Amino acid sequence: MKSTGNDIVALNAIDIQRTNDSRYYSKFLTPAEQALYQQTPADITFERFVWLLWSIKEAAYKYLKRHDAGLIFSPIKFVIQGLNVPTDIAIHSFNGIYWDSDHNTGNFITGTVIYNNEQLSVRAKLFNELIITVVNADAQFENVYWGFQLIDRTGHAHQAEEAKSFALIKLKSVLDISDLNILKSEIGYPVVLDGGTPLDIALSFAHHYRFVGYSFKL
Amino acid sequence: MDRKAILNELKKVLAPYTEDKAMLEGINEQTDLIKDLKINSANLVDIIIDAESQYNIEIDFDAAEKMYNVGNCIDVIAEKLNPSA
Repeated sequence: MKSTGNDIVALNAIDIQRTNDSRYYSKFLTPAEQALYQQTPADITFERFVWLLWSIKEAAYKYLKRHDAGLIFSPIKFVIQGLNVPTDIAIHSFNGIYWDSDHNTGNFITGTVIYNNEQLSVRAKLFNELIITVVNADAQFENVYWGFQLIDRTGHAHQAEEAKSFALIKLKSVLDISDLNILKSEIGYPVVLDGGTPLDIALSFAHHYRFVGYSFKL
Repeated sequence: MDRKAILNELKKVLAPYTEDKAMLEGINEQTDLIKDLKINSANLVDIIIDAESQYNIEIDFDAAEKMYNVGNCIDVIAEKLNPSA
């Protein structure tokens, strides 16, 4: 089953006080997931931890939704196990315009997320401004590309257009096909086409506030 | 509180999280929070917490997962307001 799923959380768009309220995070984190915080380095604030786990669950939902149109996002049912945050993780500000997975291959936050009998591997990066996450069935993430971009303004239509343009640039560079296009499937996931012919590529978009991102698997 | 009254109150709960105010004004029970109102999924828990405050109810895990469209939201809120109905 070829698929991909990603997510972005813009940390300046979250409500820190609310995030730290147990009434809030206990809606989507199990006690076992909350306990994972004890194993994460002190550099990771609790609100970042909460949104990291949310982001993993959302990315996993997108991954599975591609082949299960009726799937409803029930975050409590996506169970995160074995979250590994590098002990030497240094959280930097994101000063650039974009980042993609060609830039480096290491120092990711990794882990596992399970939904029913499906088990997915996680890679995530944490900046001061955002969390980006991608999930994949294969823990090596072979042929998986992912990235995010800072855009000039918010607004759903603008975010969608920017995410599409950003993904097309990367897809064209990887595939060496000039006539690529992206349309939406009936159930709402993006489909990559060469001319009018759909390609066997799984693509996912994410956006939050002034960040947009993609992941795709060839 | 009947379903129409709940829907009108629900508009106030959803308002901070959608940029499409015209769509919000015309919502019906089939309106999807993410697809139609373009609400970011990161705000779904905010909506549940705000609905709890607005209606003075508690929405548990099982109920929360149903709240992906307006009709489902009304179902959950109505059931919590009047459990015997």
